[in-house]
Amino acid sequence: MQRRHLLASPLALATPAFAQADSRPVLTVAVQKISNSNTLEPPREQSNVGFRLSGLFSETLIGTDWTGDLSAKPELATAWRRVDARTLEFTLRPDVKMHDGRVMTAEDIAFSLGAERLYGSGEASTTRGVLAGATGKEPPGDVVAAARRSFPGFEKVEIVSENTIRFVNRTPDLTLEGRMTQNVGAIFSREAFRAAESWLGWARRPVGSGPYAVGDYRPDVSLMLEAHDEYWGGRPPARRIRVLEVPEVSSRINGLASGEYDFACDIPPDQIGSVERHPRFEVLGSAINNMRIICFDTGHPLLRNPLLRRAMAHAVDRDTIVQALWAGRTEVPKGLQLESFGQMHVGEHQTPRFDLNEAKRLVRESGYRGEPIPYRLLNNYYTGQVPTAQILQEMWRAAGINVQIEMRENWSQVNDRGTQRGIRDWSCTAVFPDPVATLVRAMGPNGELQRSGEWKNEEFNRLVSVLETSTEAADRRAAHARMLDIIEREDPGYIVLHQAATFTAKRRDIRWRAPRGWPLDFRAGNLAFRAS
Amino acid sequence: MVRFLAWRSLRAFLTIFLVVTFAFLVLRLSGDPAQIIMGADAPPEAVEAFRSAWGLDRSVWEQYLGYVGSIFTGDLGRSMRDGRPAAALVAERIPATLALTIPALMLKLGLGIPAGIYAALHRNSVIDRLVMLVAVAGFTIPSFVLGLLLVLVFAVQLGWLPSGGQESWRHAILPVVTLGIGGAAVLARFTRSAMLEVLGQPYIRTASAKGVPWRRVVSGHAAPNAAIPTVTIIGFMLGSLIAGAVVVESVFSWPGVGRLMVVAVANRDLAVVQCVLLLVSFTMVVANFLVDLAYGLIDPRLRTGAQGGH
Repeated sequence: MQRRHLLASPLALATPAFAQADSRPVLTVAVQKISNSNTLEPPREQSNVGFRLSGLFSETLIGTDWTGDLSAKPELATAWRRVDARTLEFTLRPDVKMHDGRVMTAEDIAFSLGAERLYGSGEASTTRGVLAGATGKEPPGDVVAAARRSFPGFEKVEIVSENTIRFVNRTPDLTLEGRMTQNVGAIFSREAFRAAESWLGWARRPVGSGPYAVGDYRPDVSLMLEAHDEYWGGRPPARRIRVLEVPEVSSRINGLASGEYDFACDIPPDQIGSVERHPRFEVLGSAINNMRIICFDTGHPLLRNPLLRRAMAHAVDRDTIVQALWAGRTEVPKGLQLESFGQMHVGEHQTPRFDLNEAKRLVRESGYRGEPIPYRLLNNYYTGQVPTAQILQEMWRAAGINVQIEMRENWSQVNDRGTQRGIRDWSCTAVFPDPVATLVRAMGPNGELQRSGEWKNEEFNRLVSVLETSTEAADRRAAHARMLDIIEREDPGYIVLHQAATFTAKRRDIRWRAPRGWPLDFRAGNLAFRAS
Repeated sequence: MVRFLAWRSLRAFLTIFLVVTFAFLVLRLSGDPAQIIMGADAPPEAVEAFRSAWGLDRSVWEQYLGYVGSIFTGDLGRSMRDGRPAAALVAERIPATLALTIPALMLKLGLGIPAGIYAALHRNSVIDRLVMLVAVAGFTIPSFVLGLLLVLVFAVQLGWLPSGGQESWRHAILPVVTLGIGGAAVLARFTRSAMLEVLGQPYIRTASAKGVPWRRVVSGHAAPNAAIPTVTIIGFMLGSLIAGAVVVESVFSWPGVGRLMVVAVANRDLAVVQCVLLLVSFTMVVANFLVDLAYGLIDPRLRTGAQGGH
């Protein structure tokens, strides 16, 4: 007994001392999925679930005010200026501590935005499979693809001085500031990358400078994010963030109700009421920078006729969908654009209005005789996807259009060209506030819509280069307006339904503002614990 | 006996062969893993390189022969998602699944068989009706509904147990009970029915008439004769030890083989799905084999080849 007491005494003394040293709570967040790719490297995990978490452990030179007006804000760069239409110069934030304890250097920036991390050693890297990184350090092909899509004109990063770097593009690009906010351009420790055993090892434990450092990661199960106490933006309010993968929405809500989770993400709108019935919890969220759309395959013999596509666009009552399935908690944008685009937002553009008579007239004019049009659908990949499709089917039926829903299991089956495609669901995220992030990135010649052979328009494609390279804001805005008219009204490539919205359930006694996008923000300015 | 073993082994081999072949073909005909894993945005050259690297550009027959050949060398392939050997990924998850399914099996046996025997011995009594009512409910309620109900009561309302995850033994209680109740209900119904049939046999009446104590009649004559159908059901349960908790693992966020399989199927991570199916079919075959052996032990007529009543 005496020996046991002797052993126990230092522990008894040490425990309160430890608790005093760090009394911050551990925050438990339940998400549907932590990472689709089982990696945390942003260019590899370009998904909604990836966007949600990457900002917790990594940062970009220019940040986005996700809980505010979505404007650009200084992050790892304190200032930036245009040297010319091709070049942006950044003043780096001094004394930024990385998670490996080193101070961030200009070399870290050059590494993070350069070939070693994003583009690989040459042409061969574009054809590398996703697992080339399992043994070596070359970035896999999809990382290179994401980097080229995010920074299509990248030429080099110049180190001007210890605290100044320049991002140089091959071609003029007015959207460089916006592009620099994308998480593909997050800044990581060069030394940590070089010390990693393999690319895959690195991608499972990237070393950045965000408020939380990546700790234990169990793919498909959990991710531990440890507070980075030397974070330049202040000591994080949570000692640790436990991100748990809980695939079932009812399990996430039950875990919140039982007190095991502090936050439960991905709450569908029809569950908001049941969560908020309990006074201890609330659901926060709003429309985000992602828009739900329906794409046309103009290779379909019937859909080749723009009149029929226009009829389908006029038959859709978006407000009814928003009220019925989203409890009115999201918005219908004016086409595939957001107000955060600022001067590039075309306020006068009107997405085809709901007009059943016009839809019927266009159907008659098109010569359509009720032949079935296939609509390939995944089972609620998007929130409310199946009920939305069923409502749309009835709206089209009211206009005399016979749309047949075909359930598919995965995107490969949805996009399969082996059988006749018709229409399909998709979404488009404005990854930075400029139409290049929407119309060019998704619908342009290198975007998925055209690459998959679903739609093409020569005039639209000519205007893409104006949007991408013109340095005249007025020309760019005019090009944007014309492109919206072409792809939404004259020769429809898609129908915009509404903005997506994301809802997060949480304890009421935690002060936190929901983002207007996917990224979660648990920094000192956006997270506080009240006494319950 | 040698002939029996040889025949059983051949059947087992054929079963596994068919499962492997069917899974191989269905997986390849129902989605392109390259497109699914690399994402819709990946450039065509990267997708083609992926196909080439993983041999997906070869004909299905070539792929199949290569796969079967590698199985015989003990190579079950690598995960396309993270490059690790599929067998290692699956092996990592097996303990978590067994941590649910073995206690659940114990629960099924411990609850189901005594309840079935008791109900049969008290046929048409209130207790019999009650046991059967509970058994029918346990049998018909889907496991995801039962799991959520248990969570609602024991985690949300009472706060006694955690609702999900795998951090302590307490986290296993609700999933084990969810798995166990359904199986126990099935066993109870089968055991009761088998016992009732046996209890009506002339040799039971004879034993009773001879003055054998009722307890001895039940344990020495009725129960062993009623065991055959029950053992068959137990065989199925043994076979589903590895993959019998897919739904429950999802409801309780339990990182076992079931969840691995769901994710692997969704991502068309071919080697992992095939590895799980191979393991499941192997387990099933072994369980069936054990059941056949058990038949022989329970019923000497089967062992000797004599004609019997079964």
